[in-house]
Amino acid sequence: MFEKVLIANRGEIALRVARACRELGIKSVAIYSTADAESAVVRFADEAVHVGPHHPGKSYLHIPNVIGAAQKTGADAIHPGYGFLSEDPFFAEICSDNGITFIGPRPDVMEKVGDKAIARDLMQKAGLPLLPGTIEPVQTAEEAQEIADGIGYPVIIKAVAGGGGRGMNVVRRAEDLVRLYQTTRATAQAVFKDSAVYIERYLEAPRHTEVQLVCDSHGKGVYFFERDCSVQRRHQKLIEEAPSIHLTDEQRRDIGERAVAGALAVGYTGAGTMEFLLDHQGNLSFMEMNARIQVEHPVSEMVTSVDLIQEQIRVAAGEPLSVSQEDIVLRGHAIECRVNAEDPDRDFAPAAGRLDVYVPPGGPWTRVDSHCYPGWNIAPFYDSLIATLIVWAPTRLEAIERMDRALSEFQIEGRGVKTTIPFHRRVLADEQFRSGDVTTDFVEHFLAAEALAAT
Amino acid sequence: MSDNENTQATPDRDLIESVWAEARDLIKRLEGSTVQRFAVAAGDYKIEIERGSPPAAQGMPGTAPHPPPPHLSPSGPVATGAGPGMSIAPGARMASGVFTIGDLEADNRVPVLAPLVGTFYSAAQPGAKPFVEVGSSVEPGQAVCIVEAMKMMNEVAAGEGGKVAEILVENGEWVEFEQVLMYLEPADD
Repeated sequence: MFEKVLIANRGEIALRVARACRELGIKSVAIYSTADAESAVVRFADEAVHVGPHHPGKSYLHIPNVIGAAQKTGADAIHPGYGFLSEDPFFAEICSDNGITFIGPRPDVMEKVGDKAIARDLMQKAGLPLLPGTIEPVQTAEEAQEIADGIGYPVIIKAVAGGGGRGMNVVRRAEDLVRLYQTTRATAQAVFKDSAVYIERYLEAPRHTEVQLVCDSHGKGVYFFERDCSVQRRHQKLIEEAPSIHLTDEQRRDIGERAVAGALAVGYTGAGTMEFLLDHQGNLSFMEMNARIQVEHPVSEMVTSVDLIQEQIRVAAGEPLSVSQEDIVLRGHAIECRVNAEDPDRDFAPAAGRLDVYVPPGGPWTRVDSHCYPGWNIAPFYDSLIATLIVWAPTRLEAIERMDRALSEFQIEGRGVKTTIPFHRRVLADEQFRSGDVTTDFVEHFLAAEALAAT
Repeated sequence: MSDNENTQATPDRDLIESVWAEARDLIKRLEGSTVQRFAVAAGDYKIEIERGSPPAAQGMPGTAPHPPPPHLSPSGPVATGAGPGMSIAPGARMASGVFTIGDLEADNRVPVLAPLVGTFYSAAQPGAKPFVEVGSSVEPGQAVCIVEAMKMMNEVAAGEGGKVAEILVENGEWVEFEQVLMYLEPADD
């Protein structure tokens, strides 16, 4: 096992990782930018190293300083958290060149799963279901037209290198195809420096369903069932839950097994997520793989009683998984709300500032993962996440009631500070949300209906 | 900054007295200058002086949130005791992260800061003569040491000319971003 782990991140995830280290008896090293000198993880960790000014490119993303901090403190591993350097194969390679274990998949594997075209190809070969579409990038407009006509409209044209909702266009009519094909290629070239695109069937209102898995370096992998993350706005998730109420037990096992088989087939090690779209006929289609731990991992922890970060650290240290698939039993229902410093009434504009009042909720089966405390300044140059609030209950409806109770307790005040708490409470009260019939266009319709009711 | 140290120490009375005497001297020198905020760190101790009433949003991110000093006179700062405008904080990490210099005209010591995380080397090669020693005269832009990161040698240059007054780190020591490496005393003219 590692002696000392450096956490190359900030905010709630840095603290989350440091907590896991402490419980495992591993020393932790925080790194911080000038803006984060007073952060919770700097206080909590065993050591802390100042790695640069507030600008992420000069601190959390500055590879020489991050590696230097690990060498200075004698850390034998680096946990990248999510975002920042977590999916940078180059960084993972530099870690290994310097004799430091990167807590994540091997650089070559990370590179493969990060390329959407390669990942689609590999996962299809490994037996994962895909939407009808191309595996190889489309070369000409004529070819694109032929393929799209074959799939049937609507189709979506996606940049191979795209992500985060950028570099994709939906085509609803055959006559728009050539124009949008060219537009997407041009955008892809401009934004991602790679004009390659592929085409697949477009699902109008799918559910976002993702499978959590962890693989060790001994050829073993396990799945921690699925999460439903359909409550999202512009591809940013707002509410996540586990399990999905739309899968049968048989489907759940089947997709879990296939996801693990796919991950093992590409030599994946560590914690990862396979994203799928679920259509109204109950068909799951592979979308992409995320080679990192995710913000919403706690909901899976709550329904399986396994600490995923600890498991991730264990397998990175070369140890076998501490649990077998039979040990992982799904129990009850968990919901997570992302409490962000954003103003839902002003199109979710960032509303950062100093937290004069910060009183997190408590009570049974209520978990708050947060780096905040009274007086902490939510800085405008980092993400706006204040806390992830997670509750567990035996059933989904009880979990909704518990979440609303917890949100009602959560007090956050500060000059200029607004949060997504009121938005979450309105969603929890919504009949459609409570029924569970939520698709990825839910938030859009919900906000439009609210706006209409207000006039 | 003082409340996030993992190792807290109580500064002894004599040391506080001597630091305080130095601080009074500094405050006197600041009279008539436009300096708003001033901090020096030496070894384990730091002096931070803030003048005027900066707006709430102002201030370097990451520096300890100090309320504006309550005792202000229109003609300049007045020493009134260790009020909230001034803090003396012990701690091993003090030398980094909190260093903010508004204007240096009032103090004759200029810090040389580490531009990145890495290993401090006083000489270009092992066994070679150090770039500078205490008492050496330096020209503006002259290399005074090296900070090595990932086998890249980064020369650190003096911002201005003067004499090396103090070198705070040992050869081969790891340094953090903006850690004070040495102090220069500018030439008098």
